This record gives sequence, C-alpha cells and structure tokens, in this order.
Amino acid sequence: MRPDEPLIRWDWIGRNRSMILELLVDNIVMGLLPVLFGLLLALPIGLACSRWRVLYQPASGLLNVVYALPSLALFIVLIPVTGLAERATVIIPLTCYALAVLVPAVVDGLRSVPDHVRQAAEAMGFTPLRRLVQVELPIAVPVVLAGMRVATVSGISLVSVGALIGRGGLGGLFVTGWQLRFPTPIIVGVVLVVLLAVTADGLLVLAGRLLTPWARARREAGEAA
Amino acid sequence: MIIFEDVTKRYPGGTVAVRDLTLEVPTGEISVFVGPSGCGKTTSLRMINRMIEPTEGRVLLDGRDVREIDPPTLRRGIGYVIQHGGLFPHRRVLDNIATVPYLLGWDRRRARRRARELMERVGLDDELADRYPFQLSGGQQQRVGVARALAADPPVLLMDEPFSAVDPVVRAGLQDELLRLQAELRKTIVFVTHDIDEAIKLGDRVAVLREGGRLAQYATPAELLAAPADDFVRAFLGRDRGIRLLSFLPAAELPLRRDLVVAQGDPAPAGADWVVVVDADRRPLGWRAAGNGRLAGYGAYRADRDSLRAALDAALLSPCGAAIALDEDGRVAGVVTRDALDAALARAAADAHRDAAPAAGRSGEGAG
Repeated sequence: MRPDEPLIRWDWIGRNRSMILELLVDNIVMGLLPVLFGLLLALPIGLACSRWRVLYQPASGLLNVVYALPSLALFIVLIPVTGLAERATVIIPLTCYALAVLVPAVVDGLRSVPDHVRQAAEAMGFTPLRRLVQVELPIAVPVVLAGMRVATVSGISLVSVGALIGRGGLGGLFVTGWQLRFPTPIIVGVVLVVLLAVTADGLLVLAGRLLTPWARARREAGEAA
Repeated sequence: MIIFEDVTKRYPGGTVAVRDLTLEVPTGEISVFVGPSGCGKTTSLRMINRMIEPTEGRVLLDGRDVREIDPPTLRRGIGYVIQHGGLFPHRRVLDNIATVPYLLGWDRRRARRRARELMERVGLDDELADRYPFQLSGGQQQRVGVARALAADPPVLLMDEPFSAVDPVVRAGLQDELLRLQAELRKTIVFVTHDIDEAIKLGDRVAVLREGGRLAQYATPAELLAAPADDFVRAFLGRDRGIRLLSFLPAAELPLRRDLVVAQGDPAPAGADWVVVVDADRRPLGWRAAGNGRLAGYGAYRADRDSLRAALDAALLSPCGAAIALDEDGRVAGVVTRDALDAALARAAADAHRDAAPAAGRSGEGAG
C-alpha cells in the first residue's frame, strides 16, 4: 500500500456500484440457502435423533467431524464435481456446517418440550403426527431459531472463503483489495458482510417475536424476575 | 362405570407396577387412588385411557374393553388433568381449553364459545382468555387444566395429582371447586394423589395402594377411617382417625335446647349455669355465666350442613363445653349441651365399632 493511499476512496465505490451489488446478492444467496437447506435436512434428522436416542451420539459426532473439516479443503474436493467458481461448490459445504448447528438445535428444541405437555397432548387424544406438528414443533421453535441465528451469521461470513476458489460473494472484494494493495474494497467488503449478518440476525429475531409471542412473554417474565 | 379385572402391569425388567388389581369405579362418583410413590396409582390411571397397556387382565369402560378402542378416539372421550397442568405454552388460554373440541373437528367459533362457558364454570375471569399459560398463576393454570379436560363434556375424568404443585391455600380452594363442579356435573372421576387427606376430602371411595402395586383397601372414607384393613392402611391414614371420622357424621340429629337462648338483658332460666345471649336478630353475642353480666366468646356450627366434628369443635371453643347451633341464615337455632354431645359421640363410636367388626379381619378388596 502506498503511504499516501487513503483508507477509503469514495469514487471507487461509485464506479463499482453494480459490481458490489452483484457480489452482495451472491453473498446473500450463498449465505442463506445453506441455512434453508440445512433446516430442511435438520428437521428429519433431528426428529429421527430425538425419536431414536441412540442415533443422536453418532450423528452429532459425525456432524462435528464435518464441522471440523477446513472449508477450503471441502471446496477443493468438490471442484471436480460441481465446478470451479460455482455457487454449488460453496453452498454444499456451508449446508454441512449449517446442519452441524441445526441438528442439535432441532434435537434440543424437541427436548425443550416439557414431559407433562407431551403427556397431556397424548392424553387429550392427539395422534402422534398431529402432536408433532401442532404441539412439539411449535414449542421447539425458539430453540431452533436460536440455532438458525448462529448458522445464518456464520454462513454469511463463511461465504467469503469461497473467494479463494473464485466464488466468495463479498469475499471477492478482499482478494481484489489484497492483490491491488488497495484498502477500499476490503473495507467495503467487511462493512457489508457485517451489515448483512446483523440485518439477517435482526430479521430472525423479529420473526421469532412474531412467530412465538408466548416465548416473548416468557422472556419478559424472565427479565422481570 | 370403569372396571379393573385382575389387572397386572409388569415391566420388562421384572418390576411389577400393578398387581392383580380388581375394582369398580362407579359412574358419577369420585374414586381416589392413593398411596406412596411406587404404588402404581398413576400406572393404574393411565391404563384407563391406554397411555399404558396392562400386561394381564383388562380394563372395561362401560362394559367395553378399552383395548378395543383406538387410543386417540378413546382419549378424546376421557378428560385428563395432569400434574403441573400440562398446558400448551404456545396456545392462549381459550385455545388450550378448546383443544379437544378442535381435535373432534368442531368449528372454531363453537369450540371457543364452549371454552368461554367453561372458563366461567371453573371460575376464571373472562379477560384471561387471550393470555398465554405462562402469564397465569399456578392456581389459574390448574383451573385451565380442569376446564380443558371438561371441554368436550366427557363422562369420565382422569386427574393425576392435579393439585399437588400449588400451595395449600390454593389447593384447598381448588378442591372445594372440584366438589362444587362435581355436584353439578356428576362425572365419573378417577383421582390420583399421594395425599391421604385430599383423598378423604374428595373421594366418594378411596383405593389405598401400597408399594408393589397391591390394593390394600377400597372403601368409603368413613369406612376407611373406622376400619382400616391392616397396619399399612392404618399407618397411612395417620393420626386422629377418630376425630376425622366425625367429619362424615352429620350434626343435624343433635338435640337442640332452645331454652338456653336468651335475649340481651333477659334472665337465665332456673338452674342454667350458662346461657347464650342473642341480639334482636337472634344472632349469637356470646355465653353468659349465671351471676355474671360479662359475655364470653363462643364457637358455633351450622346445624343444617356441618358434621359432628364441627359441633365438637364449637363445643371446645365455648367456656362451658356446649356448642351453639346456627340455622342456614346464621341465627341461633339452639344449644347442644355437653351431655347431648357426649351421647352422640358415644353412639358414633359404637356404630363405628359395629361397622368395623365384620371388616376387621379382612384385607385386600375392602369393605365396599
């Protein structure tokens, strides 16, 4: 970096607006789709794990191993299959990470249903499926949402690593900035990633308040106590 | 009517939760299953709605083996109140109460109208309808639990320690409420508790179960107190059986002396050491000793509805050991002298012993 280079050059941002916007959208898609896919997969897996408790230990062990794999290694393994610089190459590993967070969230959420509530539902004459859909899953929502917040925020920021294989959303700006010894793209990228993560998290919190007003009552009572 | 026929529940590990249980729960009455933990009382209850299946024997509901009925269908016809309420935290009070009507496919309006009716019936303020369970007190939650169990007007109600998680004052209120409701509704209720006093207060019949799931005695509360089948039941009933037995004997037959009741300023009849002084409305003011103008405190009972126990209590609270009897308006109906009370107690004791005699050597299926 040249000593006289300013930290931010606003004219660069103006000139590259459409490119930045494109990367932003790409980052949103690649950050959020894994959470969505992860949730769709985590629900049946979590249900199976809480129905057959013996499954949970091996399943969570396996997911933890996947979580521990470096994302770059996974990208490289996937390149021959899904292609270089493709969305899928980034989305698939991130889905695995989301899964590692969401399966325990679903299991814990279902465990958060008090026994007496489950028994009451059974005694009222709920069929098992109806009990799951109308009682257990709604009560699990706050815990699952907490998991989704973690998965979403980490997903949005993990997308950047994809820049190393040519598809990293806003992470592309980091590579550009580094290659050109030019700080503006890096700062723009960091600010947008953080804003994106905070916004997505805020939306999830809002969704939680709307979906589970009964849990808000609990939160308020908890604060008052 | 619910009938247990030689019902045994044995778990794979070999534990026997219920052993050879045979008893009848009469229609329209409250039968209480009471016993220490591990006596199989909850297990027995849950065999009625098939939350637990018996290993041997069968449970008949109005003559039909419950195992012939599909569990969800069976359960929608049986109200269930669970310890800690078991309310759905994500549903508002009204929708909690309307649970079974919704399951039965009632339309929403009708189900909610029914739920509102029940809220009133169990003494819940209408403005609680839109609250979530978490916003209610323990006592209110239990009331919602009872309302929910009654929502589809099932003929049978199963109650599993419904009041054990609330404080004693609230519990007493809920018990009274249940008795009041039952007087109107005449449901067939099976009530599980570990509290023998609750069992005696609520039960038309009480089944005392002991560890290992054996029935020790099945009898009315008065029979139980007068003639416990064995040492286990006697120990479980605890102290003051005799005094508690008096709760089941009406005081209505006690002879009343009206001559010992005088208006303020009037003289006592000849030979009376103590008289009750009443105001112009015949309400009691206190006891007055002969030759003394000062009024002493008193105890009183309602002659039309109270028990011998209340009469005895009233006598013990009076300076002369006699009880003041009140009519239904709270006016003095007369005085029960110590002699009259003595005679009544002696008769009660003799009756209890006579009833007890044939049952004294028996154990097992009770004197019912």
